[in-house]
Amino acid sequence: MQPSRREYNIVVLGAGGVGKSCLTAQFVQNVWIESYDPTIEDSYRKVVDVDGKSCILEILDTAGTEQFKIYLKTGKYCLPYRLILEALLINGFLLVYSITSLTSFQELTPIRDAILRIKEVDDVPLVIVGNKSDLEGDRQVSKNRANHLSRKWGNVPLYESSARRRQNVDEVFFNLTRQLMKKHSGDGGAGAGSGGTAGGGRRKKGKSCIIL
Amino acid sequence: MSVTTMLAPSTRNSAASSTSSGFVPVSRQNTITSSEGAPRSVRASKRYSVTALYLSMSAQDRDLEIEDELARVQKTLRDLKSKISSQSKKNFVLEKDVRYLDSRIALLIQNRMALEEQNEVASHFDESSEIEGGTFPNDQKTQAYGNLFYLLQSEPRHIAALCRCVSMAEIDSLLQTVMFTIYGNQYESREEHLLLTMFQSVLSAQFETTPEYSSLLRANTPVSRMMTTYTRRGPGQSYLKVVLAKQINNLIEHKDLNLEINPLKVYEQMIKNVEEDTGALPANMPRSVSAEQAAENVQVQAIIEPRLTMLMEIANTFLATIIDNLDETPYGIRWICKQIRSLTRRKYPDAKDHIICTLIGGFFFLRFLNPAIVTPRSYMLIDSVPSEHPRRTLTLIAKMLQNLANKPSYAKEPYMARLAPFVANNKMRINKFLNDLCEVGDFYESLEMDNYVALSKKDLELNITLNEVYATHALLEKHSEELLSGRDTQHLRILLEELGAAPAQVPRKENRAIDLPLFSRWEGNIDDLSAALDITQEDVYFMEAKSIFVQLLRTLPATSAAARRPLNLRKIGDTATTMKDMGMFRKGMRGLELLNQLQEMGVITDQDNFQILREEIEQELVHLGSLKEKVMEETKKLEEVYKTIRDHNAYLVSQLETYKSYLHNVRSQSEGKQRNAGKQQKQQVLGPYKFTHQQLEKEGVIQKSNVPDNRRANIFFNITSPMPGTFVISLHYKGRNRGLLELDLKLDDLLEMQQNNHDELDLEYVQFNVPKVLALLNKRFARKKNW
Ligand SMILES: Nc1nc2c(ncn2[C@@H]2O[C@H](COP(=O)(O)OP(=O)(O)OP(=O)(O)O)[C@@H](O)[C@H]2O)c(=O)[nH]1
Ligand SMILES: [Mg+2]
Repeated sequence: MQPSRREYNIVVLGAGGVGKSCLTAQFVQNVWIESYDPTIEDSYRKVVDVDGKSCILEILDTAGTEQFKIYLKTGKYCLPYRLILEALLINGFLLVYSITSLTSFQELTPIRDAILRIKEVDDVPLVIVGNKSDLEGDRQVSKNRANHLSRKWGNVPLYESSARRRQNVDEVFFNLTRQLMKKHSGDGGAGAGSGGTAGGGRRKKGKSCIIL
Repeated sequence: MSVTTMLAPSTRNSAASSTSSGFVPVSRQNTITSSEGAPRSVRASKRYSVTALYLSMSAQDRDLEIEDELARVQKTLRDLKSKISSQSKKNFVLEKDVRYLDSRIALLIQNRMALEEQNEVASHFDESSEIEGGTFPNDQKTQAYGNLFYLLQSEPRHIAALCRCVSMAEIDSLLQTVMFTIYGNQYESREEHLLLTMFQSVLSAQFETTPEYSSLLRANTPVSRMMTTYTRRGPGQSYLKVVLAKQINNLIEHKDLNLEINPLKVYEQMIKNVEEDTGALPANMPRSVSAEQAAENVQVQAIIEPRLTMLMEIANTFLATIIDNLDETPYGIRWICKQIRSLTRRKYPDAKDHIICTLIGGFFFLRFLNPAIVTPRSYMLIDSVPSEHPRRTLTLIAKMLQNLANKPSYAKEPYMARLAPFVANNKMRINKFLNDLCEVGDFYESLEMDNYVALSKKDLELNITLNEVYATHALLEKHSEELLSGRDTQHLRILLEELGAAPAQVPRKENRAIDLPLFSRWEGNIDDLSAALDITQEDVYFMEAKSIFVQLLRTLPATSAAARRPLNLRKIGDTATTMKDMGMFRKGMRGLELLNQLQEMGVITDQDNFQILREEIEQELVHLGSLKEKVMEETKKLEEVYKTIRDHNAYLVSQLETYKSYLHNVRSQSEGKQRNAGKQQKQQVLGPYKFTHQQLEKEGVIQKSNVPDNRRANIFFNITSPMPGTFVISLHYKGRNRGLLELDLKLDDLLEMQQNNHDELDLEYVQFNVPKVLALLNKRFARKKNW
């Protein structure tokens, strides 16, 4: 019997068409997808070895299409509907924008706000990804600007990637995995993915029972 | 402009829209233009359509209230339409509240909401009360804003330009005002067409600025937001209901039907089952496997195989219903598809048909149908969040439909490739369907006409709130530089300058809904309608005569000798002039006068009893007769729509009530904790209220009963609320003093159960339905102010 590996749930979020699926497919399957096939919800699993340790990544690739997300008055919540209820189960987040689209970059802040608020934490394992770095000519988001955001969020790791050229693809996922490994190194055993271990200050739940 | 086509689009669009929009007749005393005789046939058809216009205009003639059946059903239809429009605006606002609270309550239930945020949510409730009616603070402003909103409404390009400058944060409230207020009359062809014109202008700007078609319409932009909001109006909603509600409801009834086909997930479930059954895992079953290993597992394959067949069957029924309902698809949505097609062809002349279909599908499926399939509750298709298995099935169905519209790359999730036959078998069908969707006529000519008519309407009004007025003004002001840099913006500039700085938003309590009279500052009365329409004086007289005689005939008692066929026009006129009713008298006089004039002009002659005119009048009456049927048919349909919208409203309101009471509870509990326990206010006990078994069964509160049929009549329940948020349900048998069973219920628990899709509340003898219980408690125990 093989030793049970640690499992992490990660989610890829971001605006429509920024390359979330291409990035994920490159990482998991080593394929480049030229066509644009908007995602509704796809899931992947991959065993990865990082720094000599092996773990399983459960990756949920989400819809960037806004009609599948819940948008609220404040504009603060822009997660897929499902994630609102399941955010607590997610360990790490990839926030993807395209360097060719300023609005996709501007969508990141509300996404992070929503995550932090729902998980009730100040900080969460996260990587910012500026995809389509091969399209330098169409660049709308300068490296400077992205760096500024990363600093503002407390030096969150930031990569510019190209799913097309397979540049920085593994790096993005590995960085997140390392963050997760580090964070969960204390609480041994498999299955970090199940439950709200991530985030610490989870409040006790006062539940009154139904008496029959 | 050709007059022949003028009315055609709107009749096709909605059978009675041109006849029920309450036009006022155009003054025509001094409308003399060229009298060049057009060839007979053209003139005749011209006459027909323009007469239709006259008739529709006279539907609201103040001079003479026509009170026949047709007028009555038309009025019913008009009222219904305006009720639907205003109700769907209310629902749109309520839905946003409920969706907001859905997510907040989920957190609250998990005790994850800080007190200050609880207060924030609570203040939200105060906001969702209805806004009172009122008037504008001052007359001069009323006039200035009336001019501004007239301009905004009749020249959609300003709003279109504004939509392109505002930020994503600003667009929501702007769109709410645009779609539910400025163009809020969803069944009024002119407003609908103006809105679509605005759409077109934003769409083509998007095509201009997008470099490659693969990324067209994909990003979240003001256009996509407009599409979302647009599809949420009455027609879009009722369409979704028609094509999806039944299928989805069928599906979610089968809570336990698991159609997962992802081998990994299937394998996991299998492991779990084995472990539960036998307490251990056999050595050849590792806990976690790779996707490939799972897919190769024979047992997994055996589970998946029949599910594939079933999924394809279900997806096929969805597809068949969608295709069969081509004609039910709202005109506006089809017209948007058409714009996407023609803009693509223009910008990318080499684009292959399947590429174009992908783009149309990108709107129709990705933005419209599929979101409703994935989250049917937010689209009022079902009343509660579906449980896990059906939810997954719905997601899979949506993915299959998406694959149909788009070229699927199974590279991503290889297991989806097993569903390839569905795509292969339906590809042709779907492309044909997407092209068929685009086959609708344009409306530009009828719009031009509608606009002329609107100019002469004296009662053009907009029901709008002060805050909507101010917010729109503020946005115009903020982006004025960009807006006014365009061509032809002189009028907008003048109006904005006169209005000065935009007032701040007023507090909720002072906000008022006003009826803003709209009128143009620049165009006067349109005496030149006939010039605009390119018709002759003869035509005008002829039409007027026809219109008058039709009106007289509709008003005269059916038993009147003058109404007998063949028609005698002189006699009809004479009869009318002998009537006491001044309106009839005047119409009669005018009718006789016109007969003479037309005869002098040589258009008709006494000799054949004014045959041409008479025949057209008779035809018109036949046409009006079938019009009545059509109007009634449309009314019936819209009543259905209205009922759906009202039901949904009731549901939204009750959901809000539940949340309110829950929140009140949580807050009073934490307040109680903060205060001294002894100081707590004395709580008033409510109830007990008595309910019979039969009653609860009928209302669906009891969803299952183990009580033998012949005993049910003797069973009843008492419900008491000793304090807010706590309920005691007891079950009694007639004649016995003590209850058989008592159950303490906390509102929190019920809400938590609802949130987790636990629908059953077990009372041993009977099973209650959780949402229904919640509704019942709400209705009975609403503690007025305290909630
Ligand atoms: N040049 C270039 N194009 C890319 C890159 N990544 C993705 N694309 C293209 O961008 C388009 C969209 O990519 P997707 O991965 O499907 O985008 P997404 O973020 O998953 O979109 P949604 O699923 O709709 O949210 C496709 O046509 C890709 O070929 C990249 O790194 N460089
Ligand atoms: Mg994707």
